Amino acid sequence: MSLSKRALAAVLVAAGIGLAACGSSSPPSGVGSTSATSGSATSASGSTVSAGSVPGTDLAPPSGTVNLSETGSTLLYPLFQAWAPAYHAAYPNVTITPQGTGSGTGISQAEAATIDVGASDAYLPPSAFTQYAGIENIPLAISAQQINYNVPGIHGHLKLSGQVIAKIYTGKITNWDDPAIKALNPGVSMPNLTIVPLHRSDGSGDTFIFTTYLTDSAPADWTAGFNTTVSWPSVAGALSAEGNGGMVTTCAKTRGCIAYIGISYHSQTQAAGLGEAMLQDKAGDFVLPDMATITSEAAGFIAKTPANESLSLVYGPAANGYPIINYEYAIVMTKQSSASTAQAIRAFLYWALDKAHGSAPRFLDAVHFQPLPPSVVALSDAQIAKIQ
Amino acid sequence: MQRVTGGVAVIPMLALLFIIAVLLAQAWPAILLNGGGFFTHTSFDLGNTYGAIVNTHGVRHPQGASYGVLGWALGTVESSAIALVLAVPVSVFAALAISERLPAYLGRVVGLFLGTLAGIPSVIIGLWGALTIGPLLAHRVYPLLAHLAPKVPVLSFFTGGTGNGQGLLTSGIVLGVMIIPIVASTTRDLVHSVPKLPKEGGEALGMTDWEVARRVTLRWVGPGIVGASVLGLARALGETMAVAMVSGVVLSGSPGSIFAPITTIAATIVTQLDSAFTDTSGFAVSSLAEAGLVLVLITLAVNVAGRLLVRRVASTALPVGRGV
Repeated sequence: MSLSKRALAAVLVAAGIGLAACGSSSPPSGVGSTSATSGSATSASGSTVSAGSVPGTDLAPPSGTVNLSETGSTLLYPLFQAWAPAYHAAYPNVTITPQGTGSGTGISQAEAATIDVGASDAYLPPSAFTQYAGIENIPLAISAQQINYNVPGIHGHLKLSGQVIAKIYTGKITNWDDPAIKALNPGVSMPNLTIVPLHRSDGSGDTFIFTTYLTDSAPADWTAGFNTTVSWPSVAGALSAEGNGGMVTTCAKTRGCIAYIGISYHSQTQAAGLGEAMLQDKAGDFVLPDMATITSEAAGFIAKTPANESLSLVYGPAANGYPIINYEYAIVMTKQSSASTAQAIRAFLYWALDKAHGSAPRFLDAVHFQPLPPSVVALSDAQIAKIQ
Repeated sequence: MQRVTGGVAVIPMLALLFIIAVLLAQAWPAILLNGGGFFTHTSFDLGNTYGAIVNTHGVRHPQGASYGVLGWALGTVESSAIALVLAVPVSVFAALAISERLPAYLGRVVGLFLGTLAGIPSVIIGLWGALTIGPLLAHRVYPLLAHLAPKVPVLSFFTGGTGNGQGLLTSGIVLGVMIIPIVASTTRDLVHSVPKLPKEGGEALGMTDWEVARRVTLRWVGPGIVGASVLGLARALGETMAVAMVSGVVLSGSPGSIFAPITTIAATIVTQLDSAFTDTSGFAVSSLAEAGLVLVLITLAVNVAGRLLVRRVASTALPVGRGV
């Protein structure tokens, strides 16, 4: 299957139909030496991972030259771009090559072992675990999604609910001065302006969590389901855009626009002058995505996170919890081609989850991600230990 | 040496056969399960990819998965047809102007611009279409067109809401801009190749410049213009990025008006391949391969039709002997 998928990709390129670059042509990773000592050290440390903390020995990659490739989610890509040189500076024998291609590509290339680490905004479906034996989705951080708008004359944050947004994206609410929007925003003078709903034209983890939010918070109004691509109801004047960057640019150009944009583009949405909505959570509060509301929403899911960590974090019951958040996942196969590759992947992922290293504010703040709660780090560590 | 050149000449043929064979192999499960319905409705529904994978007629797929290429194929053909209608007259007039009317140095300058236009990456033209010309047309020009068009069958296709710039007409216009250089530069070279004698003959008979251009030059290069248009059409049918940015990428339903958002087969494949990879059964990728196969067949059909047309035009339309 994996071979034929790659062949198909090659053919699509050859046919000129066009396709983003597929797997990198970097040599098979794990060229380095696998000395007996490092191997035994790894197996010893791998079995002694303790909850909530990462023993220092786990952070040691193999001593030989190792190239790790990463591809997938464009939301995680900037974080990997920041991690790669920092990790290389700490361990000059390890080179990490990140690519932003899309979550689906990250999952399928990790499964096909054409890359070492895939990245996905969406958790793996149950069928993936039966289809690809030994596949893991390992949370690395917590992301959130903003609801942005371009409504001239509105200062401060508009309050919106899942139901109102679902009605906008189904064409039942078409104007910013609609009574339903006014009712949520007493005292705000809403302009008579047609709403232009904007959605992603490409398959996207952002579409996945946005439509999950609509499905969970407004089941009566949103029936198109949730996925990385959905059949958007036909709304007059609706627009589509490619990537979060395209969403910011198009929304900034379009008066009346409403859009869903990843939190890592927060500085761009601010610079473009877009408004940022306060969303109604399940408890009824209106909240902005910030450290407190994301952390409080995530806290409600800690106990529910299963051992394989496949879980939607959308629209939880926590008070003052921002309702659209998600785990950002690394997709890894437990069975690796060589012990040194496995050791390098483990060491890098431990490093990425360590609050003194990859999960330090200097990395996460730049993309507005939040670190995992300690007990979820423990679950991730346990999954990482299985990579052999 | 002859054997080598002969062998090399076979490569394009083998490449095409290889592409079709691999697409066919990939698309096979989708062809089995989608059946004839693939061509009679419009849908891109991954199904419940978070539910169980079910097995129908030996093909594994998520519950509720449904794919139909009709609207995408219509969008492909309609947007390319609009591009052709807009680009061919402009290109022919431009070619005649460059080679017959403009001073040589000016002709070279215009030719330079045409060459540069041909070299602009399609993603740049797409950006221009999505952020500048699309909204401008939708807010300033389309409403006029929609207002003028009568509400009678066929022409009512030109009425209705004009949206915000993404749709069939914008796609056609952007594609038209992209194929003008191809059609115009090919036509210009053809016009250059018309011998002096028949043209001078026309002038000797008292024809004006315009009459010579229309009755001698254009007649002479007629089959070539058809060929140039087929080249442009093939480019428009397969264009991907620019259309993905200005079409609206509406994956279900067919456009009710010329202003409505659409998608094309190429734009659907490039925008949805990543989503298709999330379907662990592989059925979504297979269905996209089937759509790719449809696009290859449309392009082949256009090429064959173009060749037949060139032959017809060439055998009937030449006013003067070829061997002048």
